[in-house]
Amino acid sequence: MLEATDVWKVYETRGVETVALQGVNLVIDEGEFTALAGPSGSGKTTLLNLFGALDVPTRGTIHLEGQELSTLSSAQLAHLRLQKLGFIFQAYNLIPVLSARENVEFVMELQGVPAAERQERAMAMLAEVGLGDMADKRPMEMSGGQQQRVAVARAIVSRPRVVLADEPTANLDSKTAEKLLDLMQEMNQRHHVTFLFSTHDPMVIEKSRRTVRLRDGQVVDDELRAA
Amino acid sequence: MSLEFRLAKRNIGRNLRRTGLTVAATVFAVFLVVVFVAMAAGMHEKMIEDGVRIHSGHLQVSGKDYLKKRTLEQFVDLDAELLTLLEQAPGALGVAPRVIGFGLASKGASTQGVAIFGVDPQREGTVSSLPTRVVSGVFVDGEGRGIVLGERLARNLGAEIGDELLLYSVAYSMETAYDLFTVVGTLRLPEPALERTLAVISLADAQAFFAYGDRVSEIAVLAKDAGHVDALEADLHAVLAKRGGPELELHTWAEVMPELKQFIFIDDAGMYIMLAILVVVVAFGILNTILMSVLERTRELGVMLALGLKPGSIFRVVYMESMLLASIGLVIGLALAIPVVLYFQGHPIPMSEELKGAAQIIAMEPVITFKLKPLNPLGSMITILGVAALAALYPALKASRARPVDALRSL
Ligand SMILES: Nc1ncnc2c1ncn2[C@@H]1O[C@H](COP(=O)(O)OP(=O)(O)OP(=O)(O)O)[C@@H](O)[C@H]1O
Ligand SMILES: [Mg+2]
Repeated sequence: MLEATDVWKVYETRGVETVALQGVNLVIDEGEFTALAGPSGSGKTTLLNLFGALDVPTRGTIHLEGQELSTLSSAQLAHLRLQKLGFIFQAYNLIPVLSARENVEFVMELQGVPAAERQERAMAMLAEVGLGDMADKRPMEMSGGQQQRVAVARAIVSRPRVVLADEPTANLDSKTAEKLLDLMQEMNQRHHVTFLFSTHDPMVIEKSRRTVRLRDGQVVDDELRAA
Repeated sequence: MSLEFRLAKRNIGRNLRRTGLTVAATVFAVFLVVVFVAMAAGMHEKMIEDGVRIHSGHLQVSGKDYLKKRTLEQFVDLDAELLTLLEQAPGALGVAPRVIGFGLASKGASTQGVAIFGVDPQREGTVSSLPTRVVSGVFVDGEGRGIVLGERLARNLGAEIGDELLLYSVAYSMETAYDLFTVVGTLRLPEPALERTLAVISLADAQAFFAYGDRVSEIAVLAKDAGHVDALEADLHAVLAKRGGPELELHTWAEVMPELKQFIFIDDAGMYIMLAILVVVVAFGILNTILMSVLERTRELGVMLALGLKPGSIFRVVYMESMLLASIGLVIGLALAIPVVLYFQGHPIPMSEELKGAAQIIAMEPVITFKLKPLNPLGSMITILGVAALAALYPALKASRARPVDALRSL
């Protein structure tokens, strides 16, 4: 489903080169619930951005469902993100001027889902993440955990193939983080959506079924856990 | 309601103080633009009306080259038929033939240079305000060689009503012309220079004095509607063309009083430059507001781009924000300015003493008048929206060109 082959990423800022990834090889299969672990600066965000078609590798290739991303135009990449990928970021995920329901509807609206169906799906998804009564609240009026739940709902509701989440629990306390992980797991199973998320948090790593460890831009460990 | 419009609308509601300040600046600018343009329009129209009523009429028929030379050699052969034709032109309110010459007036030891206006006592009032400007005595009536003097001229000559004075000049025949006239009245004019030299006699007396036969120097025509002088001009051209005979000229007030036309042009230019500066200031206000809000939203724009919102949509959202701000300011500004202007259009403001002097120089009544032409609010609207469109260009481009990875990083 997702495949990185000998991926290198070198950033250059004012003449200084930073090697963020050095020859990463990684395959993510359909239905996985996989954590990308590693210390700060190890390249987790960089790798997620490459898988998310938000950035291009300096060398090597990324395939999504057999399609090589470097062959696509930026418009095609945008279309691919819209149709096949769901995103959850670390914080400030939601569009502040839209209500919870409108945020959940956002991607569907871009996909061209008709208004009635969109509303129905958004309300159902908000109920699933336990926020049925928060539909009309703006992000400012919700707690960090509630906001991340809305972000999960938004990432799932557009029926993507893969959800990429960059440290989705980083700004949450451990109890809220655990609940969010449980929710993501539930979604992974119920909706058969592949999840790839980055984290430093041992508790979150515990909850994953597969853990890929990065250090200095290289995969140093790849471990499967019994379900 | 489209997603883009909803985002734009809510974004400008986000920082109410900043939005309020920008809107207030726009309101202020729109208000000033509408009021100043209306005031200029009102004043200029009044200047033209007053000027037209004192000298020229809206249109003037004269002999070839009269405007350039202004001597008795350039004349119109006046016959009843021409007068009737001119009077019957649909747009004409009044028609007044005049003989204009220059000479000397003497009373006792004092002599003054004078502009001699020979006017038709019945017709002059239909075109100019001369008969109504008499302040003592009466206007000429064609009987007994009466003469009406400008008040200052009368004072300089030491002439009073009932006095006789001697007028000298050179007649059309090149012989010396001289005759005695009896002062029957004095008149006051807003233009001191003219008041010092004007001497009005009847048309018949002037034709006799200058040995001019049936000739006149000019025929002034007043239009019924100052807005339709062009149509009247075309009609009169047709009348003159059909008549044949010696070549006659038709001139508009702007040609007869080029200094007034020029004054209006310079006055307008000064005003528009000032208003343009004001509008540019407002443009930078809008630019600043939109740019700040875009820079504050870098992260959010990154999220939207990552989720699949197209750069074109982001461009339109930012654009709509600018247009919305400008539109709100525009609507409030017009709602405030239009009633104010309409009120003063009905209630002209008397000028202060200092301004009165200035008004006299250009021969106008000392009141400030307003006139709201449809082009004024329309032009303001187009200007403000155009400026907002330009001001939004840079922030909108900046917002839509952001790359999601960079935007997401800037927490
Ligand atoms: N835009 C950029 N320009 C220059 N260097 C960058 C850029 N983005 C990342 N880097 C560098 O690349 C390396 C990997 O960064 P990355 O953000 O992928 O790490 P991370 O594992 O996500 O870290 P964290 O846990 O702190 O989020 C770091 O050394 C970082 O400084
Ligand atoms: Mg990171």
